[in-house]
Amino acid sequence: MGRTWTSMDDFEAFLDGGGIVEVDDDMPDAYRQAVFAFIEMHANSELMGGLTERDWIPRTPGLRHKMAVLAKTQDEIGHAHLLYMVGADLTVKTRPGMLEDLFAGRSKFHNVFHYQAKTWGDQVAISFLVDAAALASQQAVFKNCSYGPYRRILKRIISEEGFHMRMGEERMLRIAAGTEMQRTMFQQSLDDWWWPALQLFGPDTRPGDVLLRWHIKSERNEVLRASWVQKFVPLLMSYGFTIPDPGLTHDPAADTWTSGPIDWEPLKRTLAMGGPDSARRIADAAANWADTHWVRRVLDDAPTRAAGTAA
Amino acid sequence: MTTDLLADRVRSAVATVDDPEYPGISIIDLGLLESLDTTPDGHVAVGLIPTFSGCPALSMIADDVRRAVDDVNGVASVDVRWLGAPVWSVDRVTETARATMAREFTVAVRIGRGPVACPRCGSPTDERSMFGPSRCRAVHTCPTCAEVVEVMRA
Repeated sequence: MGRTWTSMDDFEAFLDGGGIVEVDDDMPDAYRQAVFAFIEMHANSELMGGLTERDWIPRTPGLRHKMAVLAKTQDEIGHAHLLYMVGADLTVKTRPGMLEDLFAGRSKFHNVFHYQAKTWGDQVAISFLVDAAALASQQAVFKNCSYGPYRRILKRIISEEGFHMRMGEERMLRIAAGTEMQRTMFQQSLDDWWWPALQLFGPDTRPGDVLLRWHIKSERNEVLRASWVQKFVPLLMSYGFTIPDPGLTHDPAADTWTSGPIDWEPLKRTLAMGGPDSARRIADAAANWADTHWVRRVLDDAPTRAAGTAA
Repeated sequence: MTTDLLADRVRSAVATVDDPEYPGISIIDLGLLESLDTTPDGHVAVGLIPTFSGCPALSMIADDVRRAVDDVNGVASVDVRWLGAPVWSVDRVTETARATMAREFTVAVRIGRGPVACPRCGSPTDERSMFGPSRCRAVHTCPTCAEVVEVMRA
C-alpha cells in the first residue's frame, strides 16, 4: 500500500523536496483531480491529433512522407492509449467515461485541434510549429513532474515527439527550397497557424497556479512561449518568410524577439468548443469510435492467449 | 595508418548515432549495424538493417550515420545502405540497450516466449494490446505495481 500524508502542508513539503507520487499513494483529492485533468487533456489531444494525422495519410505527397504520416498516426493513437490507461488508474473517470466526455464536448483538448488543416502547407506548419510547441510544453512538464506514472510515460512520448519535430523541420526545409507556388502556400499556412501555435502555450501563468505549486508543471507558460518565439522568428525569417505579427519587436542589443499583443479570444472560443472546426472534429472522432466498435468487440471476444504464444 | 584502425574509428562514430526514438541508445546496441567495410584508401561501406521495413526513421538514421562517418579522420567516402537481409529481431538488442530501455524508458524487450518482467518491479506483466505507438512494441500492464509498460518484440 502507498504512502499517506497528514496534511496538505505535509504533502506539499514532500513535493517541494522532490518527492514523486505513485498511483497507490493516498494523495490529496485536489492533487489527484489536477493531475487527472492534465493527463486527460493530453490524452484527448493525442487522440484528436492522431485522427487528423490519419486524415492526411491518403493526401500526403510522396511515399516517404506518407510512411512518416502513417507511423506518426500510430504514435499519436498509441500515446493516447497509454495516457488514457495512466489517467484511468487515477480512478477519477474510467476510460470509456473519458471518451464519452470527449465526444460530448465536455472535456478539453488542445486549441490547435479546433482548426482545419486545408493544405499540405498547413500540415507542414503544424508539424514544424505546433509539434515544437507541444514538445516544449511536454519537456517542461517532464523535467520535474511529481506524478511518477505520467513522468515515465512522458519520457517515451517526448522521445517520439522529438522525432516528429525533426520530420517537421525536414518538411519545412523542403517547402522553403521549393517553387514560388509552394512558398506562397507555406506563407499562407504560416499566416493561419502562427497564432494558434503560439496560443498552445496558454495565457500567462497566474500567481499561485497549482500545477506549478505541485510540481506538475515546472515552467511558466509565458516563459515557454517567449522562448518558442525567440527560436522560430529568426529561423523563419532566414528562409524569407514573414511572421504575421505586426507588433513583433526586435531588441538589437540582445538580439531578442518579442511578440506583439496577443488576442486570447480565439483560444477562449476553442476551449468552449466554439473553434472554427470544433464541431466537425468532435463529430468525426465520435463517428470513428462508433465505426470501429466491431474491432473492439472482436478483440474483446477473442479467447485469451496463453502467455508466450505467438501474436 | 592501417585499415583496421580506420574501421575501429568508423565503428566508434557509428556508435554515437542514437535511435531517433530512443535518445541515449546507440543503433549498434539495437542491432542495426550488420556490416562495415573499409578500404585502405578510406572508402567506407556501412550496411544497416531496419527493425521494421516500413520504419519512417530510415532516411534520418542513414543521414545521421553518413554525417558521423564523414567526420572521421581518414574517411574519403561513405556509402550507407539499408540491407534486405538478414531480418532484424529482438535477439540483436544488446544487454546494455535492454538495461537502458528498462531503466530510462520503462520499456521491456521480449526475448523468446516466456512472460515479460515489469521493468519497474520485476513481476510478470499482462498483455493489453498487441500494438503500441510503434509496430515493434506491444502494451502491457503490471498487475503488481500498476505500471503501463511498452514491450519491444520481434
